Amino acid sequence: MADTDASDLVGAALGGDEASWEALVQRYSGLVWSVARGYRLGAADAADVFQTTWLRLTENLSRISNPGQVGAWLATTARHEALRIARGVTRMVPADEATLVALGLVDDYSPERAALDAEQAKLDADRAARLWHAFGELSARCRALLRVLISTPPPSYAEVAAALDIPVGSIGPTRARCLRRLLERLTGKVSETASRTHDEDE
Amino acid sequence: MQGEHDDTELEEELRRAAARFDPVPGELLRAAASVFTWRTIDAELAELVFDSLVDHDEVSLVRGPAERRLLSFQAGQLSIDLEVTSTASGRGLVGQLVPARQASVEIRAGDSAIFVEADELGRFRAGPVPPGPMSLRCSPAAAEPGPAVVTDWVPI
Repeated sequence: MADTDASDLVGAALGGDEASWEALVQRYSGLVWSVARGYRLGAADAADVFQTTWLRLTENLSRISNPGQVGAWLATTARHEALRIARGVTRMVPADEATLVALGLVDDYSPERAALDAEQAKLDADRAARLWHAFGELSARCRALLRVLISTPPPSYAEVAAALDIPVGSIGPTRARCLRRLLERLTGKVSETASRTHDEDE
Repeated sequence: MQGEHDDTELEEELRRAAARFDPVPGELLRAAASVFTWRTIDAELAELVFDSLVDHDEVSLVRGPAERRLLSFQAGQLSIDLEVTSTASGRGLVGQLVPARQASVEIRAGDSAIFVEADELGRFRAGPVPPGPMSLRCSPAAAEPGPAVVTDWVPI
């Protein structure tokens, strides 16, 4: 159902309909952003991945073999771009401060810091901040999977598989295990060092 | 034991936390909506086939200086080689069309485009270009055969 919808949007955008393009942006921006963030890119690099992915779609609207799967195509493209930047030791030189300010991206993001800031304001009264903090401490693999799964609107498993280059069948079990780890951290059932070693082993 | 119901609830809670602590920046959403006007409908796509930032050249063991990046795009018989350097004010580009041909080259980057001409040896240069995603559009000179070509977008 959602698939037919997506292919209609791609078809209309291809015909020049700007509203359909905007609908695609609305629907899949959360997914594209989550892929870049899942690979732990900073704000400026994640912005490059995000923009490059959408620009690539403008040139590929007519070339996508399965327009109903445009979400998976975007997720795959974002993953390739994220890996390019991650492997290339990010940018050659940091962008001007002015560019970052213009983009509203001047502070370099980390889930830990975002959570710490919020915690400082309200201490541990704020469960959302504690949850986000616990999320930031998960293994790289768990963070990458969960970050994509929790994008808004919720992605399909086909899109998640494309975003991470993993089989659809592995998503369910890994998700369950990562959520269990998250809960353990949140409820303090696990000691920092023991679980960190354990997570890295996975 | 944590059940599927609890998992779904925890995931939803985490989704709300992500929306709060790590939303898609509004500026980027607006930018993505507006790039629709960049699309070209009458050009051949030149795909990125080499990027010195990630592709290792098996032949030369010596890596070039990090501030010099080489990109290569390919569309049919035409390739576009590009050397990207960093300057204080942005990126400098030196390009080469192979086989050599005269062409108008539009460098699309940031919110605007820069127009330069490739000479009869297929060479062109431009800069400073703002950092971020960039794409070239090459339109062959009137005397030259062939369609216009646009390259994949690449962040530089």
